[in-house]
Amino acid sequence: MNDLAKRAREITSLRDFLALLEEAGQAITWSERVMPEPDVRNVAVAASRDANGAPAIVFENIAGYPGKRTVVGVHGSWDNIALLLGRPKGTTIRELFFEIAGRWGDADAQISYVPEAQAPIHECRVESGINLYDILPVYRINEYDGGFFLGKASVASRDPEDPDDFGKQNVGIYRLQLQGPDSFTLMTIPSHDMGRQIMAAERTGLPLRIAVMLGNHPGLAVFAATPIGYEESEYAYASAMMGAPIRLTKSGNGIDILADSEIVIEAEMQLGERVLEGPFGEFPGSYSGVRKAPIFKVTAVSHRRDPIFENIYIGRGWTEHDTLIGLHTSAPIYAQLRQNFPEVTAVNALYQHGLTGIISVKNRMAGFAKTVALRALSTPHGIMYLKNLIMVDADVDPFDLNQVMWALSTRTRADDIIVLPNMPAVPIDPSAVVPGKGHRLIIDATSYLRPDPIGEAHLVSPPIGPEIDELSKKIRSMQGGTSA
Amino acid sequence: MSGTICPRCSSSDAVSDCQGMEDGTVIWTIYRCVVCCFSWRDSEPPSAIGLGVRSAAFAVDAANLDHYPKILQQ
Ligand SMILES: [Zn+2]
Repeated sequence: MNDLAKRAREITSLRDFLALLEEAGQAITWSERVMPEPDVRNVAVAASRDANGAPAIVFENIAGYPGKRTVVGVHGSWDNIALLLGRPKGTTIRELFFEIAGRWGDADAQISYVPEAQAPIHECRVESGINLYDILPVYRINEYDGGFFLGKASVASRDPEDPDDFGKQNVGIYRLQLQGPDSFTLMTIPSHDMGRQIMAAERTGLPLRIAVMLGNHPGLAVFAATPIGYEESEYAYASAMMGAPIRLTKSGNGIDILADSEIVIEAEMQLGERVLEGPFGEFPGSYSGVRKAPIFKVTAVSHRRDPIFENIYIGRGWTEHDTLIGLHTSAPIYAQLRQNFPEVTAVNALYQHGLTGIISVKNRMAGFAKTVALRALSTPHGIMYLKNLIMVDADVDPFDLNQVMWALSTRTRADDIIVLPNMPAVPIDPSAVVPGKGHRLIIDATSYLRPDPIGEAHLVSPPIGPEIDELSKKIRSMQGGTSA
Repeated sequence: MSGTICPRCSSSDAVSDCQGMEDGTVIWTIYRCVVCCFSWRDSEPPSAIGLGVRSAAFAVDAANLDHYPKILQQ
């Protein structure tokens, strides 16, 4: 195992990862005084322009929050994702994709428990006079958001009807809006695990307690953000995918939480209550509407000494949200397709959480790519998200948009597209016919096979393979300069 | 009630939730409207919190709160 891979597997916390990023020139400290609005947003957006190389930014001089720190952009570039995966800066997106795809089912989870008294997360505890606006240096993420949001919180909860089942414990990222010093709303939909648990609690009258973790092991945000089976533990999955141990402890309200996170907010849902939530600038780059969402009352907060509040800039792309979830949106679709169709060679679902996806496939027969596209629409993520699908041949790298455009230009006939009307749609897609219902588009940009008479018998075959890859790297290294 | 006017719904029922302090000086105050749940910091630019300056597209009609959908209905 090389040194970078070893370092990545030794990460146990956000702090470890920030130290690694800083060494690599991928985390910077912003010491200049900033106003919470609009300065934090402005700096985060400026950094997001460099999807390949943006650093994490630690703000340590925020007006009105003396001594407090906020970090944005921890997962804000492919270079940061590469370092998290134990690969060097400059690793291509395609290589990162296969790094993640190759880890699928590759390792076992390593979960250990730390007694609460020894867990760094519980170093400081607040049980009365809780004021989240004071503890967290929050900022308005987009100008017309309805309030102050936590955009990168991992929320852990137990199934209210089966609270002792470790696997049915859910960990997911949900947006939270502060609704007073010790209250917040949580936005979810019925099909998400948290939505199921909220509805179960309200149906049965059972309490729903949650633990909101902020400033977490960077692997959790990457690997717990994607839907897996309801009865699979996100902690176990994240540990297996990182190939590294994960340390858990108990929150004060009895939920398994990461022992080394920065902050945990313990809260209980107010059964049956709803208050106005939103708008919130969401990943399609448009604002959600205002809706009535479940409200939670905070019962306690634990945090490390001098905690770092981690948040995100999300909105019209490219943003940290895209690098955070892009690869791990793509990899499950790839794995699920290959169970039926080993001809699938790569899946790029980086764009707006997979609202547009590009799939490369070895055409088995004429029209086969369309069959694969229809299968993609029935994968768990595809059901709601894969709105536009571009199918390309295996000789086209779906992560290289120049190649994809070549395929669109030379291998697509205008009558070789499929529009599927009135399909399920993710409710926040602004192009939906009505929220939750819209059309799907499949563009078959693969070349024609018999019995189609067109064919492509006289292709230019430029040199490819390891030698060309090495030459490409050599050219980049000869350019000199720094990555920053 | 403090009498502070909400820039989103124009109700005068906003409460103060937090003050940012530095060396005994108030740097900003966070307010929350108990009618429409909008919250803001008084140091934000007028485009976000200025009554009559904010984009009308993001206004909330305090007299018509019933039409906002409730999520996760059984
Ligand atoms: Zn209001």
